[in-house]
Amino acid sequence: MNISNVIRGVKQMAPLLRKELLEAWRDRRALVMAVCFSLMFPAALAGGTIFMIKKQSEDVTRVALLGAERAPLIQQRLRSPNLEVSSLDSGSPRELLAGDYDIVLEFGEDFAQRYQAFRAPPLYLYINSSDTGSGRAQRDIQERLGALQQLVVTQRLAARGVAPRLLAPWRIETRDVSTPSSRGALILATVPGLLIMTLFVACLATAVDTSAGERERLSLEPLLLQPMAGWQIITAKTIAVASLGWLGSLLAIATLLLLMPVMPLTELGIQRATTTGGVIAMGLIMLPLALLVAVLQILLALRSQSFKDAQTQLSIFQIAPLVVLMALDIAQIKLSDSWQLLPLVGHQQWLKGLLVGGAVSPVWMIAGSLVTLGLVLAAVMVGARALRREGLLSAS
Amino acid sequence: MIRVDKICKSFEGQQVLHNLSFDVPDGRITALLGANGAGKTSCLRIVCGLLQADSGRVLVGDADPASDPMAVRRQLGVVGDREGLYERLTVREYLSVFARMQGLSGAALQEALQAVREELELDALWDRRTKGFSQGERMKVSLARALVHRPRHLILDEPTRGLDVLAVRLLRKTLLRLRAAGTTILFSSHVMPEVAELSDRVLVMAAGKIVGAGTPEQLATETGCTNLEDSFVALAYGQRPAVAQTQGEPA
Repeated sequence: MNISNVIRGVKQMAPLLRKELLEAWRDRRALVMAVCFSLMFPAALAGGTIFMIKKQSEDVTRVALLGAERAPLIQQRLRSPNLEVSSLDSGSPRELLAGDYDIVLEFGEDFAQRYQAFRAPPLYLYINSSDTGSGRAQRDIQERLGALQQLVVTQRLAARGVAPRLLAPWRIETRDVSTPSSRGALILATVPGLLIMTLFVACLATAVDTSAGERERLSLEPLLLQPMAGWQIITAKTIAVASLGWLGSLLAIATLLLLMPVMPLTELGIQRATTTGGVIAMGLIMLPLALLVAVLQILLALRSQSFKDAQTQLSIFQIAPLVVLMALDIAQIKLSDSWQLLPLVGHQQWLKGLLVGGAVSPVWMIAGSLVTLGLVLAAVMVGARALRREGLLSAS
Repeated sequence: MIRVDKICKSFEGQQVLHNLSFDVPDGRITALLGANGAGKTSCLRIVCGLLQADSGRVLVGDADPASDPMAVRRQLGVVGDREGLYERLTVREYLSVFARMQGLSGAALQEALQAVREELELDALWDRRTKGFSQGERMKVSLARALVHRPRHLILDEPTRGLDVLAVRLLRKTLLRLRAAGTTILFSSHVMPEVAELSDRVLVMAAGKIVGAGTPEQLATETGCTNLEDSFVALAYGQRPAVAQTQGEPA
């Protein structure tokens, strides 16, 4: 097949492409599915981030002190921005925990006497471990009490002429060396996977409809009787399906970028570093992937026994690659550059880099996209052969 | 002319066509008459190039669907059995897509669309999407699709199935007009009155073979029957009317 034949073939394909595009874009169910998922995931991500920050900033451990008059120093020093301390005259720890308090601290009746006599009076810490917030409350109060205890020990040793540093052979100081971009990458690690999933979801309904659906409605046969080659039929269907998938991913990218200003990314240590060029690159790299996903979904749907069977198979098909991508991400496997030639893996790496303004090699992006397009061509040829299968006509 | 020469076809080891041979002359209506499962649809699909024969040869005009399917598809119009339409397209869009796929464009395209619109009385349906069309309306649109590029050969598989009286009359009128215009028509059916009324020649098919061929009158003479139904039963199942055999008169 030489170039002029291909160009003539593409021109002949125009009416078929028009038919496929009209059918795809008039399918309200497919369109709603594509648009909804594309808007839903960035909205969910933005909502989740806002909620997380709000929760972090608003979370205060409420502490009830019983018998606090016996330990005025602790009562005074316990107060901090994340601890809301209330002194109560009486109350049952169980009832207080069931009510408004996260933790109850009770001082025994002989607390003051034992404290003054250096006899380590007990402090009773009541928690409800079935409460999801109890771990955080216990950690907060123990940290605070630990610091206070250290202060008292230091004062007592100093009063007796002992250097406190003798009891502290070393001192731990934590330094966070993460950069805004790398923290951003961690938090936004799910976004590339979700963008790729958007593509799968947005393509699904149209892919099934144009292949298994046409076969079941007995409208594939008239198409096979036209003077069109199999590759033209598969290519037209692939472009129509991919157009919806690509729209979905572009819509998701646009929504994500629009929502970024309202997301508290700075509080999470994320610097907005996505550039206009990066956004255009994201859109462009999704196009070959949209074509690949579309043609593979069509091939799979053509092999299925029925419309429902195709839906089931494609639902599984859309999850499988994402599980692999997420597993690679969670395992934090360091992949060599050549892995970028592999569709999906390469796309995940590029999207992740482009989203946080990291370095992405244009050479690898172009090479990987060409490999993806090569696979699209191979799949179209396989699809053209699939159209010659006699089993395709069995529905009638 | 359509020529079928000694074709055989099996599906999963079961032979459905046995050395099937027949000719469909130009400008005539030929009926392929057979019971369900006789192999009519398989035969027509091989003629159209949708299926490949295991052996034998088919010629549509001077093109072989096995070796040059594109040439065959350009000169064929096919109306399949219970075929579906594209429900999100209007009739005009639907016919336009198929006419363009057959290579029509510009003024020729508009003329072709206008012609089928008038001939098949499609005015009321023209700008409606095909979803929800009745069986008769679907048949009209399918027939228009098969005819829009003015094919030399027309193949119809059980075209009257599920149609009401008016739709059958329109179909009959259209087929007779096409015959007068020189179109070669091959249709399959198991409805005897329809075959008797429309066809110039009848091919009786049973168990994947042609067991009788000729005009309805010739078949009646050959079998000693008075009507096509009896002739068909006699040829397909070997059951000659008892009265006719004993008295020596047509049943």
